[in-house]
Amino acid sequence: MSENRWLATGNFFTSYRAEQRIFLTHADRLVFICFLVLLFAWPLAFKVGNKYMLVIDSILVAIVAVYGLNLLTGFAGLISIGHAAFVGVGAYTLATFARLLGGNHVLLTHCWPLMILLAGGVGALFGAVVGLPALRLKHLYLVIATLSFQMIFQWFINFSKFYDQGQTIAIGRVFWFTGKVVRKQHYFFWYYVILVFVVVLGFAFRNLLRTRYGRSLVAVRDNDRAADAMGMHPGLTKVYAFALAGFFAGVAGALHAYLWRGVGFESFLLHHSISYLAMSIVGGLGTLVGSFLGPAAILMLELQVENLAEFVRHYFTAVGDVATALRPLSFGLVIVLFLMFEPRGMANWWRIIRSYFKLWPFRY
Amino acid sequence: MKNRQVTIILVAMFFMLVLGFSVQAVAGETYKMGLSLAITGPTSDAGSPYSKGAEDYVKYVNDEKLLGDDELVCFIKDDGYKTEVTKRNFEEFLDEGIVFYLNYSTGSTMALKPDFEEEKIPVIPASFHAGNLIDSDYIFLPIASYSSQAVGLAEYIVANHKGSGKAKVAMFIHPSAFGRASKDDVEKAISIGLAIDLVEIVEHGKDLDNTAMLKRLKSKGVQYVISHTVQPPVATMLKGAQSLGMIASTYGEAGKITFMGAHYAGGPDLIRLAGSAAENYYWTTSYKLMTAKGPGTDAQFALAKRYGRDEKLAISPNYTNGIMVVQVAVEAMRRAKAKGKKITRESLYEEMVGMNGYNAYYPLTTVGPVTFSKTDREGVDTLQLYMSKDGVFHELGAPFVSEYVQKIKQ
Repeated sequence: MSENRWLATGNFFTSYRAEQRIFLTHADRLVFICFLVLLFAWPLAFKVGNKYMLVIDSILVAIVAVYGLNLLTGFAGLISIGHAAFVGVGAYTLATFARLLGGNHVLLTHCWPLMILLAGGVGALFGAVVGLPALRLKHLYLVIATLSFQMIFQWFINFSKFYDQGQTIAIGRVFWFTGKVVRKQHYFFWYYVILVFVVVLGFAFRNLLRTRYGRSLVAVRDNDRAADAMGMHPGLTKVYAFALAGFFAGVAGALHAYLWRGVGFESFLLHHSISYLAMSIVGGLGTLVGSFLGPAAILMLELQVENLAEFVRHYFTAVGDVATALRPLSFGLVIVLFLMFEPRGMANWWRIIRSYFKLWPFRY
Repeated sequence: MKNRQVTIILVAMFFMLVLGFSVQAVAGETYKMGLSLAITGPTSDAGSPYSKGAEDYVKYVNDEKLLGDDELVCFIKDDGYKTEVTKRNFEEFLDEGIVFYLNYSTGSTMALKPDFEEEKIPVIPASFHAGNLIDSDYIFLPIASYSSQAVGLAEYIVANHKGSGKAKVAMFIHPSAFGRASKDDVEKAISIGLAIDLVEIVEHGKDLDNTAMLKRLKSKGVQYVISHTVQPPVATMLKGAQSLGMIASTYGEAGKITFMGAHYAGGPDLIRLAGSAAENYYWTTSYKLMTAKGPGTDAQFALAKRYGRDEKLAISPNYTNGIMVVQVAVEAMRRAKAKGKKITRESLYEEMVGMNGYNAYYPLTTVGPVTFSKTDREGVDTLQLYMSKDGVFHELGAPFVSEYVQKIKQ
């Protein structure tokens, strides 16, 4: 590592510890702190309508969910198409309390931070159980096992009287030190709460990869036999990867339930699992930055396609039904284009931009 | 000279300013309402004509100045039958400052109920689920609930059953909150004495062939099927039943099945989809049918023609549905204006709950008056039974009210 911790221009690491730093330079740290301040301060400076606050909050929730999928698929190499069901497990943990105790019970309205963590725990438990087939199965076979979980989850909720056959189960308004978080403050309040979770879990994610537990995920992904020879337990590592993914998904599910003030079955369907996978691919599998960029890109794309469909319907009434196909078409097209032309995802664009500034004023 | 010119210019500017403000005052106010519905995706076969009905009537209100110099704006947004998108649309409408909201699906109406209560905004959904009214003060069903429709059909079966013993009935329902809305009340009606034997409740999928299901129902002795879903799956079932020779040619024909349906499971669209298989199909709704001539149906045809709609749309009961919900909202606005009230959510709510007795509203598009009160927010209470003959739905008897639903309510 360069002696100058502010303007390092190359990778001159002198120790393994130096290479594992979260921020390679002080400039990186400063930029990150400024970015965080910006994230926390902008809602105070600009007035945004509830619709857009809801979209922004939803992107943050998706980021938490994609953290988990990125760990599982990007780092541990285990493809899951049942991630929405894990998110659903988190959300339905809260719904279970709401059904048993009532949506406005003090546990849900006052102890919400604990409930969010509990939902994460339940998600981890389910993740570990669903991950058990990973001890025996690989690749496509494992994908089918996760698909089975998604299907079982959907079937169970859809036919469960206890969960009102998937109809929305209301969750009451939460309380903060200032009192009840009323409707006017709702999206604003949850923006900050979810942002805190995004930042804290993001650090947890980054730090995990610096530990032996994180590195074991990568080792098992790259070659599980070699990892075994090095003293790691591939089976346990895979189950643990599923549990980790389940934890992040469970937390995302609970945040979703509080944000939308209810838990409904139709937010956790197979289609959502595919969406999460698309977010990971578009963002960049196996990167932390990809977990931010993917959800933002996909959810903004959805919104823009909706606007485009509206436009098409309004001005070209004869082809109004084409609008129905626009969303799946654009969604599929984006995934295919990324897989063909930028398999490393948007995170690679971020890497190129960073490299440019890092080397500046030199070209290489 | 120069001073004079300046004075003239200043006076002219002053008058223009005054004129500008007075023109603004004369231009009247703008009342905003929102409609989020499935123009694409599941159930869009009902949602699309519904949106056009609402859109055309809003144009008509403004063109004919039914609200005087005031203007009505209705934001219409597609939600693709997704509750999350509906919620986002609703938030957007609130940001726009709506005073009245029109919703669509049962699932989203149930999910957004707490929001409606907090916002204290009158809402008319396209869903006639009786459960919408539970724990709610601001949701108004435009016509008789799904429960009233399904139980009403069951009552008709009991009254006209051909054969000995209890009539064996099956229900064919949409696999969603919408489809399941009526089955509990049918079961309740049976528990308090409605003499039918409910053999099976089928939640249909996306099957293109119902042979196995139809044969199963037949083997269980089912004589009547009550459908509560949208038209395409009913058309598929009817075509299957026709090819198997199972459709009763007369009501209650022994050894055959008589098919019946609630509002969204019938109408001219069903005949278009099912063709001759829809013959002898029994259907109930609170809306007047376009084949039954009268001032309401004439007005609907004229409206569709005026805004360049084709005949297929003009005769759709869902087009009527879209018109009717805006009619009710506009009527509430007119009444509030007539009383000199400012048009707000609160004043519109007051007018809605006061729409009863001598103040009941007759929109001409329904078979009975629209009546609401604080304790009864189910609009048109009466239902009309129709039967398909020679490719057209015909009225069968006089409008009726489901007796057992009244008993269940008590």
